[in-house]
Amino acid sequence: MLVDGEAEKSAVEGGVTLEGRYERIKAAESAREGLLARPRFSFRMQLYLSFLLVFLFAAATGTILIIVSHEVETKLRFLEIVNDYMLEIQQARRFEKNFFLYGTNLNDALENVYRAKEIYAGDVEELKRILGKDRHAQIISNLERYETLLKVLAELDTREGDILQYQGKKKEIEFELREQGQKMVSFGQELMKKEKEALSEALLWSRRIHVYALGFILVLLIVNAYLLGKRILGTIERFSVYAQRIASGDFTPITPSRRFRDEFTDLAIAINQMILELESREAVLVQSHKMRAVGTLTAGVAHELNNPLNNITLTAHMLLEDYEKLSDEERKDMLEDVVAEAGRSKSIISNLLDFARESSSQVEPLDLEKILRETIALASNQLKLSGIKIDLQSTGYLPRVHGDSQQLRQVFLNLILNAIDASSKGGKIHVLLMPADEPGYVAVKVVDFGRGIPEHILGSIFDPFFTTKAKGRGTGLGLSVSQGIVAKHSGRIRVNSKEGHGSTFTVTLPVTTIPAQITNA
Amino acid sequence: MTIIAISSESYRRGREIGEKTAKKLGYRYLDREIIEHVAEKSGISREKLIKALDKTPSVLGMSQREQTLYLAHMEQAVVEEFLKDNVVCHGMAAHLYVLGVSHVLKVRILCPQEDLVREIAEGKNLSGEALQRALKRFENFRRRWSLKAFSVDETDPGCYDMVISLNKIETGEAVNSIVEAAGYKKFKAMSYSIKCLRDEEIASRARTILLPRFPDAKVRASGSTIVVETKGMKREKRRKSEMIKEMAGKIDGVKYVEVHVVNDIFRQAAQSFR
Amino acid sequence: MAQKLNVLLLDDEPIVGRRLKPAVEKIGCEVEVFEDPKSALNRIEEKTFDIVVTDIRMDDIDGIEVLERVKKRSPRTKVIMITGYAMMALAREAMEKGAYDFIAKPFTPEELRKAIAKAAQALGVAVSEGNE
Repeated sequence: MLVDGEAEKSAVEGGVTLEGRYERIKAAESAREGLLARPRFSFRMQLYLSFLLVFLFAAATGTILIIVSHEVETKLRFLEIVNDYMLEIQQARRFEKNFFLYGTNLNDALENVYRAKEIYAGDVEELKRILGKDRHAQIISNLERYETLLKVLAELDTREGDILQYQGKKKEIEFELREQGQKMVSFGQELMKKEKEALSEALLWSRRIHVYALGFILVLLIVNAYLLGKRILGTIERFSVYAQRIASGDFTPITPSRRFRDEFTDLAIAINQMILELESREAVLVQSHKMRAVGTLTAGVAHELNNPLNNITLTAHMLLEDYEKLSDEERKDMLEDVVAEAGRSKSIISNLLDFARESSSQVEPLDLEKILRETIALASNQLKLSGIKIDLQSTGYLPRVHGDSQQLRQVFLNLILNAIDASSKGGKIHVLLMPADEPGYVAVKVVDFGRGIPEHILGSIFDPFFTTKAKGRGTGLGLSVSQGIVAKHSGRIRVNSKEGHGSTFTVTLPVTTIPAQITNA
Repeated sequence: MTIIAISSESYRRGREIGEKTAKKLGYRYLDREIIEHVAEKSGISREKLIKALDKTPSVLGMSQREQTLYLAHMEQAVVEEFLKDNVVCHGMAAHLYVLGVSHVLKVRILCPQEDLVREIAEGKNLSGEALQRALKRFENFRRRWSLKAFSVDETDPGCYDMVISLNKIETGEAVNSIVEAAGYKKFKAMSYSIKCLRDEEIASRARTILLPRFPDAKVRASGSTIVVETKGMKREKRRKSEMIKEMAGKIDGVKYVEVHVVNDIFRQAAQSFR
Repeated sequence: MAQKLNVLLLDDEPIVGRRLKPAVEKIGCEVEVFEDPKSALNRIEEKTFDIVVTDIRMDDIDGIEVLERVKKRSPRTKVIMITGYAMMALAREAMEKGAYDFIAKPFTPEELRKAIAKAAQALGVAVSEGNE
């Protein structure tokens, strides 16, 4: 952003000279470089980036969900297997019970065990992975033991031996068989319970992932929208401040205020270009308006010149006529008159020429009273021509003001010439120099008692091309240009007028507190 | 002690009033008769001089430089007569070149339509809208003519001291009014106004001499000093200035000649594009 | 010459009076020179002049006002206006208010003498015109 000192500097520069213009171009060029030197981060980029981020996240979520669902599927299948296995085991145990109760179905039980083994073997690798080696080994050993026991039982049954021994053996086997069966069932149940828990947990996870992913995407979108909005709106706001600044006559180029550049940077560069153009146009306008004022003054000067010219003519003629009769002393007196009057002619024109000259604008400490006195001198012929008296009053001991004396002279001259136009013959104009009502400002008031400004046009008198003067007499640029100049000095022009009673134009200029800020900034 | 310059919409009515006024005041009357005298003196044909008064320059007809020259000759003759004072002048564009002379009473006569129609319709029978259009055209033509020749709009009432409409005022009354106004003290000749007239005479005389050679020369005079403004390019500036000084220096009553040769930007531009 | 013409010359430029006094005296006029319009007007109240020569644009009192005062006091007096601000409107105003002549500055002493001679003639007094 602008530093105050910089702003002030720009406010008082704005020269019409080549040098001034060169400075401005250089400033604009360096601003351009500064603007372009930053890394580019365009809005397009931000949009792309944010979309990419959302996409990546969605893709990741999708992948996770696919994995989770796959797992669920696996778990379901596993559960199925375990279920089948359990069914077979339970069936085997039912037959086993039958055998012990009725002595039948032992082969069916074996059949079931085989089938359970088959089922188990079908997915042995996976089961091994899920159950872990130890448990796997235990299940296998359980199953095998059970099978072995059944086989032993079946052998005993077919061998038809000692009933008692058989019975004892059977009892022994039955006990172990039951124990093994019990173990197997409880183990399977435990496994199933575990798997069911894992399944429901996986399902819960997938649900959670859905909700969280949605939430996260929402947050991501909100954050991005906020950042984007802030970036756009903030920049637009900044540019509207620039526009106001430019409108008020401050032609400092826009300088970088962020760490990156984007589409608005292009706009800023374009605006800087426009500022240069505007500035040169304004300089032309100010100068052409000045020449207008000079044109007005020439009429008065031409008439005023007639007085010294007349004195020279009369003196020269009388010198010619009476040359012989005059004493040396008298002749010398007359020649001295001619010299003095020639000097007077020169000073009458030189005031105007000084003013008309295209001046290099420079900021310096001003003696406003002196400037006003000079301006009044410049307009004196016009005042004489219109038979109007002017009166300058100063409160004295005023704080210092810095500015471009040439341009301010133009402003005051314009106000005085307007006052002359508004006044009738024999009228009076007061020029007052005093501290302004607001602290930190000095006021110059030009008061006339002429016809005043009607209220309905009071609002538009500072508009360009607004004039109440006859066609060909006023350009309607005087007050507009003056306002521009005063604005550059961070001052203001105000008007107070009552129709039929006259008008007061007040120019307020800020007092310089730290002169170095302006001169060296 | 007064000069009356009459400008009239209708030549016939202007002449009538001018003659009557001159007779009543015992002044000389000046009108197109003076053209004979100018033609004789300048060697320009009478027809051409009249054309300069009645027509605007055109591509095929009279050129701008011819018109300016012819008008300068006539102006010189008229102003010379004016210097003899007590004269009533009708037409001759006099009201356009003595604008700043205070003892010339400038009168504008507005005429009824019938009178105008006779002069502008040229035998054709106009009526209604066609007539109105023709009248409007004529007025516009006169405005254009006066602006082109003397940069003054002769239809602007602001140029005159007195505007009389023959629609409302009889010829006799108009003459009386003019005679009465001529008696006002403000229209009396004085050193200053005579000097203004004399300046105009010298300027127009200088024009008749300089214009054939320097068609774009603008001449003003003050006392025995004349100021000539002309256009020129770098190299010819000095030569032009010297030639003008030599030619104008020989003019009777001229003691000092000041020449301003301003840059001929158009020619310069034209050349630089070549 | 039986009687000398009384001329009052008023101009706030001192050189004008200094140079014109001897110039006009040469043609046999009695010349009184003033730079301040107020004292000139006082003098006009005291004495009737044949001819008054006055500048128009002066600081306190306008030449036109002087003209009016002179004509009021003595309608016979011829007033010649001299001004650097010569314009048609001003010239006509002066003539209408009774000025005898109106001369634009710068002028030569001879021009003024001619104007005075003419005025004298109108008054019925002969002066020696030009250089003796």
